[in-house]
Amino acid sequence: MADGSPISDDLRSIPRLLARNARAFGDKAAYREKELGIWQNWTWAETAEEVEALALGLMTLGLAPGDHVAIVGRNRPHFYWSMVAVQAAGGVPVPVYQDSVAEEIAYVLDHCGARYAVVEDQEQVDKIIEVKDRLPNLETIAYVDPRGLRKYDHEHLKPFVEVQEAGRAARTELGGELKARSDALGWDDTCVMLYTSGTTGRPKGVVLSNRNIIETSKASADFDHLTQGEAILAYLPMAWVGDFIFSVGQAYWCGFCVNCPESATTMYENLHEIGPSYFFAPPRYFEERITILTIRMEDASRIKRWMFWTAMDFAKRVGPALLDEKPVSAMDRFKYWLGDIFVYGPVRNRAGMSSVRVAYTAGEAIGPEIFEFWRSLGINLKQLYGQTEASVFITQQPDHEVRADTVGVPSPGVEIKIADSGEVFYRSPGVFQEYYKNPDSTASTKDEEGWVATGDAGFFEEGTGHLRIIDRAKDVGKTASGALFAPKYVENKLKFFPNILEAVVHGAGREMCAAFINIDLTAVGNWAERNNIAYASYQELAGHPEVLSTIQGHIEEVNASLAEDDMLSGCQIHRFLVLHKELDADDGELTRTRKVRRNIIAEKYDDLIAALYDGSKEVSTETEVTYEDGRKGSIKATLEVRDAKVFEVKALEAAE
Amino acid sequence: MELLSNIFVTPFADMIGAPDFLMQVIWEGLVSGVLYALIALGFVLIFRSSRIFNFAQGIMVVFAALTLVGLHELGLPAWVAFAGTLAVMFVLAVVIERVVLRPLIGQPDIILFMATIGITLFLVGGGEIIFGGENKVMISDELGIPDGSYEFNPFDGFLLLEARDVTVVFGAVVMVAALLVFLTYSKMGRAIRALGDDSTAALSVGISLTTIWVLVWFMAGIIALMTGIAWGSRAGVSFALEIIALKALPVLMLGGLESITGAIVGGLMIGVLEKLFEIYWGQPLLGGSTEAWFAYVLALTVLLFRPQGLFGEKIIERV
Amino acid sequence: MNAMAGNYTTADGRKIGGTLMEMKHITLKFGGVTAIKDISFDIFEGEIRAIIGPNGAGKSSMLNVISGFYHPQEGEVWFKGAKRPTMKPWAVARQGIARTFQNIALFDGMTVLDNVMTGRLTHMKRGLFAQALWFGAAEREEIENREFVEKIIDFLEIQHIRKIPVGRLPYGLKKRVELARALAAEPQLLLLDEPMAGMNVEEKEDMSRFILDVNDEFGTTIALIEHDMGVVMDLSDRVVVMDYGRKIGDGTPDEVRSNQEVIDAYLGVKHD
Repeated sequence: MADGSPISDDLRSIPRLLARNARAFGDKAAYREKELGIWQNWTWAETAEEVEALALGLMTLGLAPGDHVAIVGRNRPHFYWSMVAVQAAGGVPVPVYQDSVAEEIAYVLDHCGARYAVVEDQEQVDKIIEVKDRLPNLETIAYVDPRGLRKYDHEHLKPFVEVQEAGRAARTELGGELKARSDALGWDDTCVMLYTSGTTGRPKGVVLSNRNIIETSKASADFDHLTQGEAILAYLPMAWVGDFIFSVGQAYWCGFCVNCPESATTMYENLHEIGPSYFFAPPRYFEERITILTIRMEDASRIKRWMFWTAMDFAKRVGPALLDEKPVSAMDRFKYWLGDIFVYGPVRNRAGMSSVRVAYTAGEAIGPEIFEFWRSLGINLKQLYGQTEASVFITQQPDHEVRADTVGVPSPGVEIKIADSGEVFYRSPGVFQEYYKNPDSTASTKDEEGWVATGDAGFFEEGTGHLRIIDRAKDVGKTASGALFAPKYVENKLKFFPNILEAVVHGAGREMCAAFINIDLTAVGNWAERNNIAYASYQELAGHPEVLSTIQGHIEEVNASLAEDDMLSGCQIHRFLVLHKELDADDGELTRTRKVRRNIIAEKYDDLIAALYDGSKEVSTETEVTYEDGRKGSIKATLEVRDAKVFEVKALEAAE
Repeated sequence: MELLSNIFVTPFADMIGAPDFLMQVIWEGLVSGVLYALIALGFVLIFRSSRIFNFAQGIMVVFAALTLVGLHELGLPAWVAFAGTLAVMFVLAVVIERVVLRPLIGQPDIILFMATIGITLFLVGGGEIIFGGENKVMISDELGIPDGSYEFNPFDGFLLLEARDVTVVFGAVVMVAALLVFLTYSKMGRAIRALGDDSTAALSVGISLTTIWVLVWFMAGIIALMTGIAWGSRAGVSFALEIIALKALPVLMLGGLESITGAIVGGLMIGVLEKLFEIYWGQPLLGGSTEAWFAYVLALTVLLFRPQGLFGEKIIERV
Repeated sequence: MNAMAGNYTTADGRKIGGTLMEMKHITLKFGGVTAIKDISFDIFEGEIRAIIGPNGAGKSSMLNVISGFYHPQEGEVWFKGAKRPTMKPWAVARQGIARTFQNIALFDGMTVLDNVMTGRLTHMKRGLFAQALWFGAAEREEIENREFVEKIIDFLEIQHIRKIPVGRLPYGLKKRVELARALAAEPQLLLLDEPMAGMNVEEKEDMSRFILDVNDEFGTTIALIEHDMGVVMDLSDRVVVMDYGRKIGDGTPDEVRSNQEVIDAYLGVKHD
């Protein structure tokens, strides 16, 4: 399939790709899911049957062309089937983040006017029932896991299997109609609608067409030479565009197998069992795994530790060069081979990355150390830059041209231009149709010529043609002295320390910069245990003087490195405090994809920000928190505010 | 200078100079190591399931071997005598559980330890009355343990393996493998491990203390019989055999009281190292007979650095 | 009043059957101290029955009598319509009564899976020694048991810790593993000794949900001890109230709540 030829008409929708796969690879695995400790398997032919049954079942419930169907659950074959079944029956699938609270679900279901919802279990059903009276369009909720639901009023509820059974029974009656609807799917008809969580405001429904998804899937599959033989682990939220492209778009285009973990908590174990060949994870994931590995090495014997670090130091020099096919001496090759037997191979295996041929990361900047660590192990980890509005791909790194500080060259078929403000614009076959029922936002994001504003500031590096992203365009500001203020850049530098989970830097329009820090409980907790520091709670650990001193050390290190760059030296952090609670999406402080929501944090913690700037040594505060079950409570704390050393600016002031 | 050279250079030069002899020494060490491991296993099994340090394990070896020979002397065919001995060991396990262990449930560990000393004395006394005190010959041929030897010529040298030793090693490996599979995968094995972990919890899931104890002591009895046959066919059957229980002590110190792997690796390690030391250092430098004490010195040295033994659970004190 | 007579259907549609267990005039003494004094009550099939009372009221002793860890000096224990002779705890377990412990009694050195598998020991079809010597049949049984245990693991959402030694788990998860082990026995009567003790609010809610789901999904009869009144009243069909070894109340949560003697006991005695 790796060629540049145009896409023939019988491959121009996901249901048609399914039919092709059932014909071409009928007995090959399409889905696997671990259940009751065993990997269950569905071939493409079986998948086609399951999807057809479900599509017919939805039609018996009255699904009409153009109807929206919400899909809420973790990555399971049933929900992937649901998406394709809805498409086949002429509807529009709308996957929803399964950790959304009832309020968020209500907004999405109401906004798209969903008539049906396919959900996982009691938890999701409860959330929808809670807001049901605000969703007059919603007729039926189909659920996969019946546990705890038997006693519920089944007027609007139906087990998933019963929907399928009804579909199978109605095959002779409705089969023709289903085929007609599938055949009628056009190249520019809606394939899927995905709600972006967005850093501000209400979520927006991004409408992506069959053309968007399939052309992008084809181009990106060609770019990395993906084949029918790939294996992936589907563990990222189904409502995220990336999962839709990897686990639906590319999987159906290439015909490879999508593996679903047993539960969210068994992901590491399942990853190890599956050993995917193609893998995506956010930078946070790669960081977390190194933290775990480092902790484990701390507990290992001295010999093991020595072996590990010696081998890793060597790998740092040779590993990436080998990956990039640069010249490496025979002796070094031999040493690397030895290291591979004793260290790299076992580490890769432990991380479930033994068979990875292509791995991507995106969404946030990745620490150069972290990036190099994985690459030196011989894993082809690359970066891409993308958005929901682009059907993911804007730029990506080709093999052998991989670096930590760029996001690569424009993906096939994508044009990019940089505006005078520094903002990055793109145009591609993947560009979304519209924001659903939101023409204003559509118009302000996409112009008539099809150029889409990314909202990010960046520039093309001379010589290599690689794109570098600095920050959100609107977040790049000025301090009171007129110096450039790029908070995210600084925050990312801070977050590269394992002890720091999250950082929020303030300073726009102020005399100086200051920061909130969230400690990483895994790393700091482990350090505390090794040093016999007792603590009863997160809050107590976060306020421990020794922890503060460690964090202060990290901040001063960052300040030193910022001072070397005359553009960014004004971003040095003068004062900081360590927050008494973890920033949390449930409290609205982070987006569901764990990006910091600056405005909300600034509003919520205004007393703490005031303390940062008024010179006080400590500050008492009370914060409202939301528990997992939606109840609210509050925590009180007194936080110490500390000064950090700042460094002499080496060059001239940045102000003109 | 010459002393240093005798310690650090000559032995290794000898090893490299005559690799066939080195192999012979290692093999001899392995064979005794297997026996040490077996007897240590008997200790570990009982300790894990009942927290009892079974002082009687050594005498059980003698008692089993004497019973086997004694039954044969009564005119029973070898294999019938073997089965009969198994039956005797089973009865012994039942009796020990009924008469000694059950009344002592809940007593401090030291009392139970003393009780096993009592069992030892009883078996010594009883054994002498029934079988007499003189040495006996193990019925190896009758049990079908092959005689003779295999010769090899590695490195243009000469290596001789006694068929009897090969059988012993082979038999021990099969038995240990079976034991491990049983403990790891079978329901009863799981029950044995569970009981060692928490007896209250074990009761609550329907594990009967008494049944498991009989089973474990019976298993220790089978191991004792196997050890008795193996050792007896090399050195004859007498109460002197009991001293091999003393060899198990350093193995346990090294391997930890609860680790089956520890017992096996510790046993093999001590067997091989004490033989190497005797041949290359002990005889030329110390006039020989180092095997009597070497294992203890080795074990104590290890304990200095790893108080929990090589395979014991790491002792972590948490706040 | 049908709730006290058994054989009825609850408001949320669960079937409650006839008497499964009956305690008749139980008196338990330790030396000179009387822990339980002439207490009688019954447990219906399919119900959630709570025993509550201030600390030191004798609740745990009562649970230990039911599970055979203590033997009462006076009184009779009737199970499934027959009088139970004095029995060892393991024999009681094999009759179909499983339990958990207030202070958690798990096999710390064994994995979660192995721990839960020990719960299946009562379902051994062959005698102990036959088990030890006959591997073929034992293996088939092992596979069947593993399948059942996997359902329990899935039900209690502990897949991610399947292979982890129990000793390394945090408290809340240990409690859940203990429940899993008890459930693996497919008990006819499940005894829970302070299932929520030492848990935070969120863990308590999880545990309540699991208890209700167990009762609902498997129809398991549950008898539990708690001193957190709120939780008990929400969970149980009927409640026995004990104070100083005596029974001072017995009935539906509403009845018990309005019982003057119960109110006095709870107001007059300090408890945490």
